This record gives sequence, C-alpha cells and structure tokens, in this order.
Amino acid sequence: MMSDLPILSLITFSPLLGIIVLALLPKGSSRALRATAIVATIIPLLLSFWLYADYDGAVDGKPYEEQFTWVDTQFDRLTGTSEGTLSFKLQYEMGVDGLSLPLLLLTTIVALMAALASIHIKKRWKSFYIWFLLLEIGMLGVFLARDIILFFVFFEMTLIPMFFLIGIWGYMGREKAANKFLIYNGIGSAIMLIAFVLLISTAGFNIDTQTFSGSYETIKANLLDMQAAVNVAEAWTGNYSNLFMSETMHWTIFILLLVAFGIKLPLFPFHTWMLRVHTEAPPAIVMIHSGILLKMGAYGLLRFGVFLFPEQAHEWAVVLAVLGVINILYGAVLALVQKEFKLVLAYSSISHMGIVLLGIASFNEIGLQGAMIQLVSHGLISALLFLIVGSLYERTGTTELGELGGLAKSLPFMSGVLLTAGMASLGLPGLSGFIGEFLSLLGLFESMRILTAIAVLGVILTAVYVLRSVLGITFGPMQEKYGTLRDARLIEAVPMITLVAFIVLIGIYPAVLTEPMKHGFDTLLQQLSGKVGG
Amino acid sequence: MDTMFSEMAWLIPLFPLAAFLLLLASGRSGRRVGVAIGSVGSLASLVLSILVLIEHMGDGATYYQDGFKWIDLGSFQLNFGYEVTNLSALMLVVVTAVSFLVNVYSAGYMRDDERISVFYSYIALFTFSMLGLVLADNMLSLYFFWELVGVCSFLLVGFWYTKPAARAAAKKAFIVTRIGDAGLLIAILLLFWYMPDHALDFVRIENVFEGQTGAVAAGVTTLIAILIFVGAIGKSGQFPLHVWLPDAMEGPTPISALIHAATMVAAGVYLVARTFDIFQASPVAMETVAYIGAFTAIFAATIGIAQNDIKRILAYSTVSQLGYMMMALGLGSLTGGVFHLFTHAFFKALLFLGAGSIIHAVHTQNINEMGGLGSKMRITAWTFGIGALALSGIPPFAGFWSKDAILATALHENPTLFVVGVVAAFFTAFYMSRLFFLVFTGKPKGDGKAHESPLSMTIPLIILAVFAIGAGFIETPWNGTLSEWLTGTAAAAHSGGGLVMVISTAVGALGIYLGWLVFVKGTIARDAISSRAPWLARLLERKYYIDEIYEAILVKPLRGLGQLLNAIDQYLIDGIVSFIGGTAVFLGRGGTRLQNGQVQTYGLITILGLVILIIAVVGRRFWS
Repeated sequence: MMSDLPILSLITFSPLLGIIVLALLPKGSSRALRATAIVATIIPLLLSFWLYADYDGAVDGKPYEEQFTWVDTQFDRLTGTSEGTLSFKLQYEMGVDGLSLPLLLLTTIVALMAALASIHIKKRWKSFYIWFLLLEIGMLGVFLARDIILFFVFFEMTLIPMFFLIGIWGYMGREKAANKFLIYNGIGSAIMLIAFVLLISTAGFNIDTQTFSGSYETIKANLLDMQAAVNVAEAWTGNYSNLFMSETMHWTIFILLLVAFGIKLPLFPFHTWMLRVHTEAPPAIVMIHSGILLKMGAYGLLRFGVFLFPEQAHEWAVVLAVLGVINILYGAVLALVQKEFKLVLAYSSISHMGIVLLGIASFNEIGLQGAMIQLVSHGLISALLFLIVGSLYERTGTTELGELGGLAKSLPFMSGVLLTAGMASLGLPGLSGFIGEFLSLLGLFESMRILTAIAVLGVILTAVYVLRSVLGITFGPMQEKYGTLRDARLIEAVPMITLVAFIVLIGIYPAVLTEPMKHGFDTLLQQLSGKVGG
Repeated sequence: MDTMFSEMAWLIPLFPLAAFLLLLASGRSGRRVGVAIGSVGSLASLVLSILVLIEHMGDGATYYQDGFKWIDLGSFQLNFGYEVTNLSALMLVVVTAVSFLVNVYSAGYMRDDERISVFYSYIALFTFSMLGLVLADNMLSLYFFWELVGVCSFLLVGFWYTKPAARAAAKKAFIVTRIGDAGLLIAILLLFWYMPDHALDFVRIENVFEGQTGAVAAGVTTLIAILIFVGAIGKSGQFPLHVWLPDAMEGPTPISALIHAATMVAAGVYLVARTFDIFQASPVAMETVAYIGAFTAIFAATIGIAQNDIKRILAYSTVSQLGYMMMALGLGSLTGGVFHLFTHAFFKALLFLGAGSIIHAVHTQNINEMGGLGSKMRITAWTFGIGALALSGIPPFAGFWSKDAILATALHENPTLFVVGVVAAFFTAFYMSRLFFLVFTGKPKGDGKAHESPLSMTIPLIILAVFAIGAGFIETPWNGTLSEWLTGTAAAAHSGGGLVMVISTAVGALGIYLGWLVFVKGTIARDAISSRAPWLARLLERKYYIDEIYEAILVKPLRGLGQLLNAIDQYLIDGIVSFIGGTAVFLGRGGTRLQNGQVQTYGLITILGLVILIIAVVGRRFWS
C-alpha cells in the first residue's frame, strides 16, 4: 500500500504545505505562525516514522524509488565513431537505504525540536519560519536524492536559508558569520560541483540509452564495474577517451569530494567558519546546523566519496584515520580552554565528527555502523545541548563560562538535562554517544591499533572539557542575580525530554538503528573484499 | 531447584533501578516516601542476594548464565548477559548488605537535607550499577556498569554541589578514574580482536587463558592484563591514580562508606579477580599487580599517619587496604584478595558510618578538634573501636584473618613484599590508634554538646560491628572454607601460618601501643618527628606532593597547549583561510572594475576570450 505513494517526495516536500499556510498568515500573529511551523515539521516526522516502520532493510531499498525525467536535451555527438545523437537528462530520482534512513529520522526529529526551540525568536517570525521550512526541505532532499544533480540542488537549497537565518536572527556578529558561512560553503559547493560535473561527464554515461545523467545508480555501476567502464570509454573512442575513468580521474574526483565534504564536516583546518556559526546563529538554528547540516558532510563523504570510490577511500584509510584523530584531539584540546560555552560545544563538535572519520576509516561493518550511529547520536546530543544553550541564554543573557555558575540551584531541571547531555557527549554507556564511539573505535582497532589508542586519549580529554564547562555552569556557589530564575517551561521541557529519551533509547537499545542499517554496507564491503582478496 | 534463585538473579539489580526510576519521576516531593522507596528497593535485593548465596553454598555447582544479543552487526555481535558464580554471589550479598545499611543509616544522617530524595535516587542508581557490574557475564557489560558506577560516584561526591571543593572533587574523581577506564577500554578492544570468535565473556576468557592454549600470544596477554589493571588502578585508587579517592571524601559520609570504602572501589579488585586467568597467564602482569599493590599499601599508610581529617585518614586506609588486596592477587592468591575484600567491606563501612556519626555530633572532621567522645557516644565508640581493631589486624577480628592470609602468601611467595606488608600493618595500627585515641579519649573539646546519634544510625553500626568481629571465621588457617568454595580446590596456602599470625598480631599490637604512648600517655611527644625532621612531616602531610606533580607535568602543559593552539586557531588558520576568501573577493572586485561601460574594454575582453578559446581548441589536438 505504501509503495503506491510517492512517500519520499511527500516527506521531502511536506514542509511546503506549511510554507503556503505561513505565506497566507499575517505577519504579526506570532502564535499562529509558530503553531503552523510546528505542525509543518510534525508531518514529515510522522511520515518518516511511518517509512521507518515499513522499511524492511531491503538491500537496495528498491520499493521506495521514485523517478521521472525532468529535462531531456539532445545534442549531436562531437567526436567519436558511432552515429546518432546523445542526450543529457536531468532526472528527479529519490531513494532510501540504510545510509539515509537514520539521517532522515534525525532530520525530522531535530527539525521539530528546533521549531519548538524557536520560541526564543523575537522578530519577523513569518520570514523566519518560511526560511526554516525551506531549510528543512533542503535537508530532507539531500538525504533522499538519488541523482547527483538533484542532490546538489538540495544541498544548495540549505545554504541560502541558512545564510539568512544566521544573518538576520543571529547575535551581534551575525552578518560576518553569515558571510563566512556562505564563502566557505560556497567554495565547498564549487569544488563539489567540479567533482560532480567530472562524474557526470565520465561515469554518468548510460551506454544503453546513450544518455548522460546524474543518476547515482548509473554512476555507481559504471565506476564499480570495470567492464561497464570500458564500454563507456569505447563509446567515446574520441580523442580524450583515456582520460575517462582513468585511475587519475578516480583519484581527482575522490580528493575533490573529500575536500568539498570535508569543509562541511568540518575537517581540520577548514573548521573556522563553523565556530562563528555556533556562536552567532540563534540556538534553534545551531541545533539544525550542528545536529544535521554537519552530518550532510559525512553523509556526502560516505555516499559519494566512499561508496563510489571504495578503492581510493580504502587506500586512503590511514589518511582518513589520521585526519579523524587530528580532529578528535585538536577539537578536544581547544574545547578545554574556551571561555564561551558555545565555543566549547563547537570544538566538541569538531572532536566528535573526528570519531565519524575513524569509523569510516575502519572499512569494516563495526566501524561503519559505528560512524553512522555516531552521526545520529551526535546530532541528537548537540541539538539537545544547543536547546539548553538557547533556554539558558534567555534567562541569563550570557553563555560566558566565567559569568555562570551554581545554576543547579535555581534551574535544577535544566541543569540535570545539561548534565545528562554532557554525559552523553563524553560517551557514558547507556547513552547514545557510547555506542557510536565504542563501535567506531572497535572497528578501527582491527587495522590501526596505535591510532585507535591515541584516539582513546580523546575520550579522556572529552571528559575533562565536558565536566569543566558543564560543572562550571551548574555546580559551585550560585550567583545572586541568578537566584530568581525560573526553570524550564513546558514548551522547553518537552523537546528536552524527547531528545533525552531518544539518546537513552539508542544507548540501551541500539538495534533501533543497527537493524535498518544491517545491510547498508554489505555491497561496499563485498566490493572491497573482492578487490583486496582478488 | 538448584538454580531457582540464580535464575532470578537478574531481578537483583532491577529492584534498585525501579526505585531509582520511581524517585526520579516523583521529583523532590515526598521525603519520607523517598527514604522508603530506596530502602525497600535495596532490601528486596538483599533478600534475593542472600537466597542466591545460600543456593550457592549448597551442594554442587550452581553456575547460571543467561543473556541476549545487544548489538547485532551481521557478522559480529555483542552480548549483554549475567551470570552467577560463587564469587559474584558473595559480592552480591556484600553490596546489597552495605547498601541496605547505608539506606537505613542515611535516613538519620541526611534527615535535614532538603534533597534527601535525590540522594536516595543516586544511591539506588549506584546500587543498580554496582549489582549490574557484579553480575556481568562479559567484559562489555562489565564496562557498561563500570562507567555507570563511576558516574554515580561522581554525582554523590558532588552531591553538595554548591561547595567549590565538592565540585572540584567530583570532577577529579571522574577524570582520574576515566584515565584508568581508557586503559580498560583498550584492553577490551584487544580482547575482542585477539580472542577466538571475538568472545568477550568470562567463561571463554577463562578457557582460553587458563589452559594457556597459546590462542593469544604472550606479549598480547601481558598487554591486555596490564591494561585491565590500569582500569583497576583507577577504580581502586591504587598508586599513581589514587589521588581522587581522598578528595572524594567531600561527598556525604554514608556515600564514603558505601562507594569509597566498601563496594565501588573494590570493583577494581573484583575486575582483576574476574579476569584472573589472564593475569595468571602473564608473570609480568602478576608481578606488576603485586608490586603496585604492595607499594600502595605502605605508601598510603604513611600518608594516613599525617592527616588530620577523620575521613581522609580512613580514605588513605582504604587505599592502603586495597593495596593489600591487589598484592594478594598479584601473588597468586585469589582467595586472599577476595577474602580481604569481603572483611574490609564490613569493617570499613563500619568505620565510615562511625565517622559519620561522629561528624554528625561534632560538626567537624578535624580530629584535633575532637576528644573525649567515648563517654558521650558509647555505641559509636564501641563499634568504631571494633572496626579499628579489625583494620589493625588484631585477632579475632575479621581483618586479622584476611590480612593474615595475605601475609602468609607473601611470606611464601615473596619475602620482600611480606616485609612491606608487615611494615604497612604497623603503620595502619598506629594511625588507627592515633585516630581512636584523639577522638574518643582525652578532654572534650568544642561546645561539648555532642550526643549519640539516633537509632537509625546506631543500629547499622551494631550490625556491621557483628560482621567486623565474625566475618573472618569463614576462612582461617585451620578451615579453608572460602578458598575451597571459591577456587574449587582445598587451600594449602597457610603454611607457616603460626609464625605469620604471631608477627602480624605483634606488629598490630605494637602500633596500637605506640599510639597509646604518644596520644594518651604522652610518654613520647607528639611532635617527636615533626620537630626533628620537619621535611618528612610536611612530605607526608602534603601527600608526597603527587597532586602538585600532576599539576606541573600534566594539567599545566595541557592548558598551555590548549591556549597555544587556540591562538593559532584564531589568528593563523582562520587568517589563512580568510585570506583565500579575501582573494576571491578581491578578484571579484577586479572583475566589477572591468564592467566600466566602455565599449573598448568589452571588445578587448572579447578578443582575449576568443584567443583563449582558439588556443584551447587547437591545443586539444595535441593533448591526446
């Protein structure tokens, strides 16, 4: 019954409904606008959970593919021997598999939580929520698109709303932060675009239909199947055929993708832009940014870098692992000395995203699943942390560690949640952070013992900086000016409890994530073992 | 019938968990209800634990194991399970008994604290975690609870969170033990990849290492054992990771009794006992354990002499006694280590609860500000005295028998360590007599309003005192019940038992006598040493400057590195990338300047573009 519906498109574009209603509502009615936005984020949440319940972990997720051709341009062959015309297709192609489903759920959950957290937004609600929902469409589309041009479109669709959301509703330095965000991500997108154009013009050629397209399946098949690659090359017996599908070309595209998604991830030393976003964007938007947008970098790296170029990625496993370890330690050491809580969290994100790289670099099932769980887990945890940051700032007017202290006395509930989030962040068993971290380390340990051991040092440092900042805020003597603060309101408490519940759920019953991902990496690992073994 | 209660053993940790969840849900309302929920939860666990233990004392092995798949990753899987062995059955009773008594005791001790139900919820969570740790059937489940136990300890040390000292102590406890945990974590990673079939459960670990099958290479075995021991060092406060335990005394005193004396700190010893076969497969690891344990025993005992805070003295004595246990394990005596763990749990819980009773009465922890309390607090004084005698190793109290078992093994295996153990026993007896005499004898100090604590506090003291007297008789040189039950073989250990008993009793008595001479009789001046060798007194008082050394070689360099990198991050890295971004903007500006509306410029650019195109087209012919 479900496969009759274009469920993936429904999920992706359901926030559009909210945008339409928002457009009709008057500017000043903040309550109605807020309610509309919240409802508009609930719809994709419900749909995605329906999808989750229905998803049976099929290897390719075939039942959920949706596809139609958008534009089909024909052009004459410039060179080559065979006759006839070629065509270039812009396709709309959506699909879901073990790699995208967990991140899709993460997106719908965090988006709703962020919509709830947007009660602290004080101006221009209408345009805020419209940009917000557009951002959600972009994010959902990124995880579901199965055509690289479509992927690129959705990817760009997240940039523009983010730019305005930071630039208009942020703190003091918001405009500079927005600019920086746009420049960095623009560069990243440009590099990604180069890689994608190279991909389409080489592996994007379907030999049977004589068409170029950005179809992920076509590209993947061409890249992974040597014979298909030869066929593509032969179809182009023109002058530059040997350039296509050559080893050099593989490496070029792989490295371009690594840099493009590395900026998003963010990889050291491309991380400075996200510090500004963390400190200047409104907390509800940072929830999205840290919770989901950074995950798009890792997702892109996995989906395009690793899945399309497994050999190159595997050969560079050590490089990835070293980059991961650098991220972990660099982020942790810097988080240690920050005086602003939001910067502690920003560097902590850098550190935690390093763990994802470790999981990827393991190239075994344990580590790859660990990387995925780490993505979801960090998404939930950092969303929770910034949710608290937003509520804290509302009350205290500051997030400088030096000016906070003893808040457990006046804000026991929020402090308790903050402590729980901190514990999840430092990888306490029973909470989701541990599963992702442990599996990533366990996976990597198979091939890189010393690097894993060094990464474990990060585990200690994480405890130090988390406790330093969290205890600095909640424990200690209370300052008098904070004596009259009111603890979380219901509308703040609900998303906090929800996020904690998901964090605990994954922590004690990780099967909720590992089950749908079960076969997500089968093909990748088979290819690798085939290549390495044979 | 044989495994009826063992099959229900999984319920034991669930009672306190249920209590915790109930307390969490009820918030801060209902103080009496909080006490009742916590106490009932731990009582239920205690009853079931006793039934399990009785079952295990019956005929025939009643080993029971059960579990489920936790993380299923296709070709790999990680399990979660529990098993009941004789060792874990014994530990269950120790943990639940002390936990229950502490629950009862806290009803009095924490009566005036407005967050008493939070306190009870933490104790319940701790009890759950500790019981989970005891029952765990594999390394991963154990690690799971190991960390939870650490968090509970952290929460309880920092219970009075508004005190900066409590905050610092909680942070320190967590971080220092985490250093040990990192070692344990790597050990688990090693085990996973080196064990046949990636097995992590204790049964298969035992099979692989006991038979010395060679399935795991000798070097790796040593590495695994040492790393497990690093974890144990952290939890059990062994040198050099002992620094957190004395500071942890910032927590409420019942917690010091429960966590930092009787149960959690014993988890390190329990871990080594649980993975004993790995250690036995590596002589190097065994020696490391023995020497670290022995060194810690004497090292902490000497510090204990120079402290003035009643809880800190007891904390250092805990560190020292855990050292004995480690030494016993390192010398190959599983029974010795576990036996001392068992007796120590009772008499140290007794001493801490007694100390709590004293602090409750006089509102100070400095023993120099106490005195003459013996007549005012008779029950506390008597029971504390029994605990002190047990700790000092005076027969027939419990500590005598277990310490004797360890020293007898040491004499047999390694005479050097025997001497160390004897000297440490002397120091122990001395600082305990100093503590006892300063607190209970002499002239009353302070406002003199001290009075005996309420029944809810004294009854647990009396019960624990009974155990501190009697618990040692389960294993004597003439009756190896415990060792036979634990290891399955009759003990032949206590050879030369007579000599050791004489020596250890004499040394203990001598230590007490010396304490009496100095602190009661006054024959020897109290400042006899500190006036002659002030540096020595200061060295001991400052705890050998270990904290200062860590500050200098670890904390400060790390902070400096952080600040250095922070500067680099802000100015250099951000600068370089901004420069690149700036260049792009500059080029863009240059581009806009070209659009100046003059046709000549456009024409020039067009021609330029055309030339480039032609070059490109022509060049393509040469390319391939």
